[in-house]
Amino acid sequence: MQLHLLNRSVASSHVYRDALRAMGDDDYLLLIEDGVYGAVAPLVEHFSSIAGRLFALREDLESRGLEERCAESVIVVDTEGFVQLTEETERTVSWF
Amino acid sequence: MRYALLVQGAPYSHQAAHSALRFASALIDRGHRLETVFFYHDGVYNAQRLATPPQDEPHLVEAWQRLHHEQGTALLVCVAAALKRGVIDERESRRHGKQGHSLAASFELTGVGQLIEAAMTHDRLVTFSP
Amino acid sequence: MDNEDSTKTMLVVLRHAPHGSSWLREGLDVALVGAAFGQTVDLLFLGDGVQALVKGQQQGPLGQKGTHPTLDMLAMYDIDTLLVDAESLAQRGMTEADLQLPVTLVTASQLPHLFSRHASVFNF
Repeated sequence: MQLHLLNRSVASSHVYRDALRAMGDDDYLLLIEDGVYGAVAPLVEHFSSIAGRLFALREDLESRGLEERCAESVIVVDTEGFVQLTEETERTVSWF
Repeated sequence: MRYALLVQGAPYSHQAAHSALRFASALIDRGHRLETVFFYHDGVYNAQRLATPPQDEPHLVEAWQRLHHEQGTALLVCVAAALKRGVIDERESRRHGKQGHSLAASFELTGVGQLIEAAMTHDRLVTFSP
Repeated sequence: MDNEDSTKTMLVVLRHAPHGSSWLREGLDVALVGAAFGQTVDLLFLGDGVQALVKGQQQGPLGQKGTHPTLDMLAMYDIDTLLVDAESLAQRGMTEADLQLPVTLVTASQLPHLFSRHASVFNF
């Protein structure tokens, strides 16, 4: 089980497609930095295939004014939660 | 657990260093050890001795140095990536006949082998890229 | 692969094209050093990374170093598993005949397993 990190907006970069293709069935995806733009409707629909396994970093949502607009399907975690995800998974793979 | 971070983003250009430092303090708060930070690609600019941010911005170089002093974290900078970008320590400066040096204290120039080693010997390696 | 020490397997994912940035060069450097450190290194060319394998590359203006000479050194370092994402290749209108080295094509369904079966993964 792996944790994938994505720091690019799905609106401007296709790298999310490769991240999704590389993900195993129980892998998690955490949106950080500009990646959190993808946590808002309608862009979040790009992640419909990993419902329940999509996370976004609270601090990056807040600093961008997105916390209220974050889709309900996204699990919001703070950086402590980010560390916890790295504990629970065997490895982290970063996509940028 | 023993953590290593790989930082590949230049400070003040990308969020990578901020994200990595925030993650560093959170993992320490959760009782883990941050043993190694490896700087590669444009991440080597995090080791610039002369970085002088304005007072209302965080001093990222000093933040890395604090980790070294308070946690014993090794701050390893890829020598090949650093030298060509002008990040150079006293020894390399002398060897290449340069005046002055630019590597901040507490950082050390090292080879990519140390990154491979870190991946093998630490429980977790987390990468922060631009 | 089955006989290899599984704790020493390393996947280096190359996702950037030559010349436009140094990601490909610095990713290949990690692969070479990994091999020199006794790791069994597999390379995965994904997305624009498949451009690294295109025939007929040269150095850039002002002597900008390319990565094509490094590819010739891979065999010397016992890096002989060059995996290429078939979809990335097809998307760019290319086939294996356009590549300068023999490769192994991987399908979409094989990708997740590639990432999980290596002891370490470096994604460039």
